[in-house]
Amino acid sequence: MSKYVPYVLLAGAAALFPYCVQRVFLHTPIEAEMGTAQKIFYFHVPLAWICMLFAVVCGIAAGIQLSKRSERAEAVAVAAGEMTVLAGLGVLITGPIWGDATWGTPWTGDARQVSTALLWLVFVAYLLVRRYGPSNSERIAAALAIFGAIDVPIIYYAVKIWKTTHPQTGVVGSLPDSMWNTLWVCLLALMMLSVAFVWIRAGQERTASALDRAWIAAESPLPKPA
Amino acid sequence: MRLLRQTWLLARNDLRQEARQLELVLTAGFFTLVVVVMFALAFFGLAADVQRKAIPGMVWLCVAFVGALTLTRVFDREREAATLAALLAAPVDRLAIYLAKLVVTLAILLLCSAIMVPGLGLLFPAAQVFAADPLALIVLMVLGCLGYAAIGTLFAAGLATSSGKNVLLSVILYPLTTPVLLFALVATQRLLDGHPELWNTLAQMAALDVVLVAVGAALFEAVLIGAANPGAPAQARAARAARFAAPPPAPPP
Repeated sequence: MSKYVPYVLLAGAAALFPYCVQRVFLHTPIEAEMGTAQKIFYFHVPLAWICMLFAVVCGIAAGIQLSKRSERAEAVAVAAGEMTVLAGLGVLITGPIWGDATWGTPWTGDARQVSTALLWLVFVAYLLVRRYGPSNSERIAAALAIFGAIDVPIIYYAVKIWKTTHPQTGVVGSLPDSMWNTLWVCLLALMMLSVAFVWIRAGQERTASALDRAWIAAESPLPKPA
Repeated sequence: MRLLRQTWLLARNDLRQEARQLELVLTAGFFTLVVVVMFALAFFGLAADVQRKAIPGMVWLCVAFVGALTLTRVFDREREAATLAALLAAPVDRLAIYLAKLVVTLAILLLCSAIMVPGLGLLFPAAQVFAADPLALIVLMVLGCLGYAAIGTLFAAGLATSSGKNVLLSVILYPLTTPVLLFALVATQRLLDGHPELWNTLAQMAALDVVLVAVGAALFEAVLIGAANPGAPAQARAARAARFAAPPPAPPP
């Protein structure tokens, strides 16, 4: 039964995305100060939340992987790590576009910008270690993911005090309800998509590790029948 | 108490080897000197007030470079002599192994700092402010290097079994150590500026170090045991490689 869940989610996301675009551009008022450039907010912010969420999911799953030696948790950690990198890339592309339109510069060194970029680097390192690491790379990568998840708040705080030497930048102020509601719809669509991707990828990863185990079993010498 | 004694025994063993060969001390120390000279060449023309803003970056970039170099060597010795398995089989707490390697790395890093900071003071007039508050400077260097080494020792141990994977150590190390290095940057800037909240920042760094050492110690065993036996994907890779290298025996008629 559960194998249909990701496809239901994908279908839901496919139906919701056109509605999102229509709602963002036609049925949501234009923000007074930033103008149409602010429309990117409805995709930028949900992507940032998804990025953070899956970073934490990856850290927790990696912790379970190490403590319980659970293959299921390992598959979830890998899939969540990849989703973090993907969503983070989206955030790091949409953020500077928005910043360039509003602040006049794509990179201000704002605490959130820098900490998102650092988080993204940590999880790219996670994927690199998993892919190109030595024979025990899944354990090193798991430790890296746990450190990464713990680092998230510390990085944010560290960048914040580091920024005290730099000028402060304006952030998004209070928004009317109509904008928030549009944001929730976009978040729902992107969340359905990302959960479906993680689900499918985790299943694929479990199949791959089952195949690995089959190879080991096939190559290990069997006791000779008497 | 037992843990401390075991840590001291293991660390003394490494330090004694180091005292006999001086390999790390000389190479890392000379590397520090080279980096300082490179900084001097790159930033020679900076005005005094700009220098003061650039010096924290130089100090901690240098620590980051020297640290990555030192950490690859700290476990290389175990790999070359194939003593990692013996170390794991020895009747010592695994935590003691982590702490001992941490102590050795910290000792080397501090030694390099003792070359770097006076060197920077010699080449950049703005760095001479460091001499005004030696206590704060020493606390700052110890805390910064400790946090860096706490993360570094963990991952260097994990990568210890494989040669030629040193790039990966830097790939892991630099993003993960940014929080502690950022704190160190701020503290160094405050030291140079004579900022009143300097000790406040140092206290926060100490708290961060406690967290990093605790997490490193908690994860060390899992990572190090993984270093001794390869995981399923690696075994499967080896099995596949073996199968494709030699065709399977023909089935009996």
